[in-house]
Amino acid sequence: MLSALGNPRQAAAQVLNFALVLSTAFMMWKGLSVVADSPSPIVVVLSGSMEPAFQRGDLLFLWNRNLLQETAVGEVVVYNVKDKDIPIVHRVVRKYGTGDEAKLLTKGDNNQADDTELYARGQDFLVRKDIIGSVVAYMPFVGYVTIMLSEHPWLKTVMLGIMGLFAILQRE
Amino acid sequence: MAANKVSLANLADLKNASDDAIANYLNSLSFKQSHTMTDVRLAIGYGAFVIAAAAGGWDYYFGFENTKLYTAIAVAVYTLLQGALAFWISFVEHGTVYQGQAPNGGQKITIASFNAKKHEPLYKLKVTTQPASGGKPETIELERSFTEWFDESGLFVAAPFQRFLASSIPVVGRADPKRVKSESRDLLEGDSDLLDAVMSAEAETTGADKKSGGKKRKV
Repeated sequence: MLSALGNPRQAAAQVLNFALVLSTAFMMWKGLSVVADSPSPIVVVLSGSMEPAFQRGDLLFLWNRNLLQETAVGEVVVYNVKDKDIPIVHRVVRKYGTGDEAKLLTKGDNNQADDTELYARGQDFLVRKDIIGSVVAYMPFVGYVTIMLSEHPWLKTVMLGIMGLFAILQRE
Repeated sequence: MAANKVSLANLADLKNASDDAIANYLNSLSFKQSHTMTDVRLAIGYGAFVIAAAAGGWDYYFGFENTKLYTAIAVAVYTLLQGALAFWISFVEHGTVYQGQAPNGGQKITIASFNAKKHEPLYKLKVTTQPASGGKPETIELERSFTEWFDESGLFVAAPFQRFLASSIPVVGRADPKRVKSESRDLLEGDSDLLDAVMSAEAETTGADKKSGGKKRKV
């Protein structure tokens, strides 16, 4: 490993191998984004507001193209509230009008009230472009790792430690 | 580099250490190494990485919606470059570990190396030589055991490895005649009974003195 430092081409090749692993993962994500036309085609459910349909930790796959029909009442969509970063997964319960200007109201299956409280100040409904995708598939529980990591930051340290230990034990 | 120990259980390590030794040895014989193949691979690879980094950059600064056309193009180009890289590595390089030219404008030589079998310590070389003026390339294939040039502790021993290369590849032998060793001599030195038998047979056919028998003579 260290001998590679004496040979710039070999060092460059090793750095490249590592860089390509990262960039390939990134480009696969971007490719999926482009195909699904969504900035975030895979999301993790963070709250229980859609139970029993989706639990915390479920991984959702989104599709954001209206090829055959418009986003309709009954679809589970992910939307971003203006000026808030956290995407919300809820069901469309009412729709007025058609096309991009249709007014949509959403509600969590497990919530008492609809989402008007969650929307930004002065916003009473969603329009199509607030939505970043409709849920087309999901994998239960897989996303729980990311919830654990973000809620318990010390787990990151533990994970790094374990990986470091493996790196030392394997001498590579 | 020869001081680096490798794990004898790791075929990839054995191969890498041997590959490095080829370059060191040939360059020490004033072969002129050509890095074109590696450079092309690095250029394609880093080109792809730069595109991915640029896509990440504009996505971060301008947002997904504003840049998705460019992102789509970047993904397509990245995929093409990755395909080109895979093609280059598996069909053009195809295991090549050394490319160069013998001293004083001699033959061009390309050496590709492989682990001959998945679980056996066999080092396989495919050596292609071509006259500098062009002309028909010649390919020879060699297969040896790593045990010939790694000792039991995993240290690389240069002498037997260099002797193997010099004896098996004519261009290298010409550049380093003193390491050329004929197969028959190798065989005789390894087996004293055989050596004796050959010596006495030689003595008979040449009518030399039978009683001395050549037993103590060195070849």
